[in-house]
Amino acid sequence: MNSFAAALLVWILTSPSGSGHGRGEGWPIHMACSSGGLEVFYQSCDPLQDFGLSIDQCSKQIQPYINIRFGIILREDIRKLFLDIALVAKGSSILNFSYPICEEDQPKFSFCGRRKGEQIYYAGPVNNLGFEVPPGKYHVLLELYNENRATVACANATIICS
Amino acid sequence: MAPHISCFFLVAFFSAGCQVITSSDQRCIEKEANKTYNCENLGLSEIPGTVPNSTECLEFSFNFLPTIQNTTFSRLMNLSFLDLTRCQIYWIHEDTFQSQHHLDTLVLTANPLIFMAETALNGPQALKHLFLIQTGISSLEFIPAHNLKSLESLYVGSNHISSIKLPKDFPTEKLKVLDFQNNAIHYLSKEDVGSLQQATGLSLNLNANLITGMEPGAFRSTVFQSLNFGGTLDLLIIFRGLQNSTIQSLWLGTFEDIDDGKELSDSMLEALCEVSVESINLQKHHFLNISPNTFHCFTSLQELDLTATHLKELPTGIVGLSKLKKLVLSANKFENLCQISAGSFPSLTHLYIKGNVKRLELGTGCLENLENLHELDLSHDDIETPDCCNLQLRNLSHLQSLNLSYNEPLGLRTEAFKECPQLELLDLSFTRLHVNAAQSPFQNLYLLKVLNLSHCLLDTSNQHLLDGLPALQHLNLQGNPFPNGNIQKSNPLQTLGSLENLTLSHCDLSSIDEQAFISLKIMKHVDLSHNRLTSSSIEALGHLKGLYLNLAFNQISIIPSGLLPILSQQSIINLRQNLLDCTCSNIYFLEWYKENVQKLEDIEDTLCESPPALRGVRLSDVTLSCGITAVGIFFLIVFLLLFAVLLIFAVKKFLRWKYQHI
Repeated sequence: MNSFAAALLVWILTSPSGSGHGRGEGWPIHMACSSGGLEVFYQSCDPLQDFGLSIDQCSKQIQPYINIRFGIILREDIRKLFLDIALVAKGSSILNFSYPICEEDQPKFSFCGRRKGEQIYYAGPVNNLGFEVPPGKYHVLLELYNENRATVACANATIICS
Repeated sequence: MAPHISCFFLVAFFSAGCQVITSSDQRCIEKEANKTYNCENLGLSEIPGTVPNSTECLEFSFNFLPTIQNTTFSRLMNLSFLDLTRCQIYWIHEDTFQSQHHLDTLVLTANPLIFMAETALNGPQALKHLFLIQTGISSLEFIPAHNLKSLESLYVGSNHISSIKLPKDFPTEKLKVLDFQNNAIHYLSKEDVGSLQQATGLSLNLNANLITGMEPGAFRSTVFQSLNFGGTLDLLIIFRGLQNSTIQSLWLGTFEDIDDGKELSDSMLEALCEVSVESINLQKHHFLNISPNTFHCFTSLQELDLTATHLKELPTGIVGLSKLKKLVLSANKFENLCQISAGSFPSLTHLYIKGNVKRLELGTGCLENLENLHELDLSHDDIETPDCCNLQLRNLSHLQSLNLSYNEPLGLRTEAFKECPQLELLDLSFTRLHVNAAQSPFQNLYLLKVLNLSHCLLDTSNQHLLDGLPALQHLNLQGNPFPNGNIQKSNPLQTLGSLENLTLSHCDLSSIDEQAFISLKIMKHVDLSHNRLTSSSIEALGHLKGLYLNLAFNQISIIPSGLLPILSQQSIINLRQNLLDCTCSNIYFLEWYKENVQKLEDIEDTLCESPPALRGVRLSDVTLSCGITAVGIFFLIVFLLLFAVLLIFAVKKFLRWKYQHI
């Protein structure tokens, strides 16, 4: 029995997750904005890369057409680009929706059509709705992907409203 | 001792497993044996030995090749496609591609190029497509032009280029695509455009360049396949520059992140009177006001795209669009279909009004003047009506394709599409349909070939639901529940004798009657995935041969030997994600599976569910020994012999004992 335990120990120590290849650590957590009683943190959930995001005019009363700054390296062509948002509070799902950003017959933004490998910096409006955030802690999963469902960006965000 | 050895093996086994995992991380993926390899994101600094010399297509993006030279790719002599996107290439030295005679496409996107040698692109006999997007170049002189005689497309987007003027000796005879997207081109002169004169049928993309000036008549007497000035603020500059030119397709739309430019007025569009255009896109622009006269210069126009142009209505009696064939009015703000004043477009064959921002009322006979209409898209419009669609589609007798998907509930009665008897394609997916019992809404659609009814929440107990569709080839019923999860012998499908392609996935089915598909004799493609079916439902396919059959995500466990001939006569079968049994009670199927692997799809994900010891193991990897083996038979015979000898002895002894006591 002892030798079995020893064998198990050896295996645990040599297994990839145990030997710390650095995979499980993930990308650093960044702050997208913090003011007016609202704090937004995010972490890239794309294993290949991190990305940069900052939101202007952060406040509990979210204005329509807020401006953001966004920087990323494209891993895919984005002639077609879609956004999925999943909002969770207190462990239960509140909202799921999907929104097309770039389509063949309606490229909404000037960056639509750019190619794999390109570095993109976007500073400009997002056509969001205005609403007031009720106090609490929310988790948001944001995913940008193309028509093959290949990930362009993935973010695990936490929103704290006090 | 035994446990020691087994533990040693255990450790060896697991560590071997880990080795495989880590080393496979560094391997290129073979997409087509000896031809196509994907080595993306591996941090490689040379072409690995695992890529054979015969490789034709190599995806090598996101690696590390600071310098490429004549030795880098020398052994890959058959390359026709090479993707070197973001490989941190600084230098492309002399004769880098000298042995790649067949190279057709070279992608150098997003490399910080410092210098390309004069002979860097020598070698390929017919290099057709060259991507130099975001390589930091500020002038086309940077590209060595010696060996570009066959060039058909050149992509130089996201650079610092400020002039489209091609260098003096740049070959343009075969050039079809010239893409300057997202550069710093602000001015176009006659001389600039003149340098492209040699190219015929050219598509020039100047999307996301802030054009602030153009020499009037810069495009005089030129012919272009397509011109894209997306994101330009002042279209008047463009219109003046395009005077006396001929353009097939002109893209002048703008974007959400570009400040609203000047509103389009009648006097601005006046400048288009001297331009010959076939197709124009003005997405996201604002019109000052649309008068009947706005488009009077568009007399040769065949296609007009006004997506998201904030339109609430179009005036009646618009002049100049009488030849228009295709009109796109998607993502606007109409309240009633009659507000598009369809009478102005008598030649229209294609009309797209999808994703209307407001709930769209179809009204009555709003499109009745469009006698030539072939295709109508009214999807994502929140349309709701209790009685569709004869009043709404009045007089559309030539309509072949109708899309009403993603709307609010529609009520359909018998012969709901009587006004469009020529329909070949009808898409109603994700629109809830109310059909009263015994009504046949699709009756008399004699030519209908494709019908998409996915997620329409239909009443499938209505036996007459699909009556009157003699030519129907494709039917999608995904997401429609059947009564008690069962398709009975008498069901609405039985009338569809021409059906070739049937989708019944996500229908919550638990059984299908043996005779349920008996009148569907020429089916080629049946999708029954994502249900709760067991193997007995396979009997319903007994009369069909050569099917693509998808049974993935069901509850099939044991497939008795009697059903195997039915599977054998099909061409491709998918059985992934079932509750497949890998014990001796399923041995006939398991043996059949191994013999027919070439017929099976997704074998990597077709796994055993039971017994627990084999759970998650691929079916193709399971070997069972059921029945009696040779050794077993030998021992059994020996045992029987011994038993017989013993019996004889016992009988003898017993008889002797009896004799002695007589």
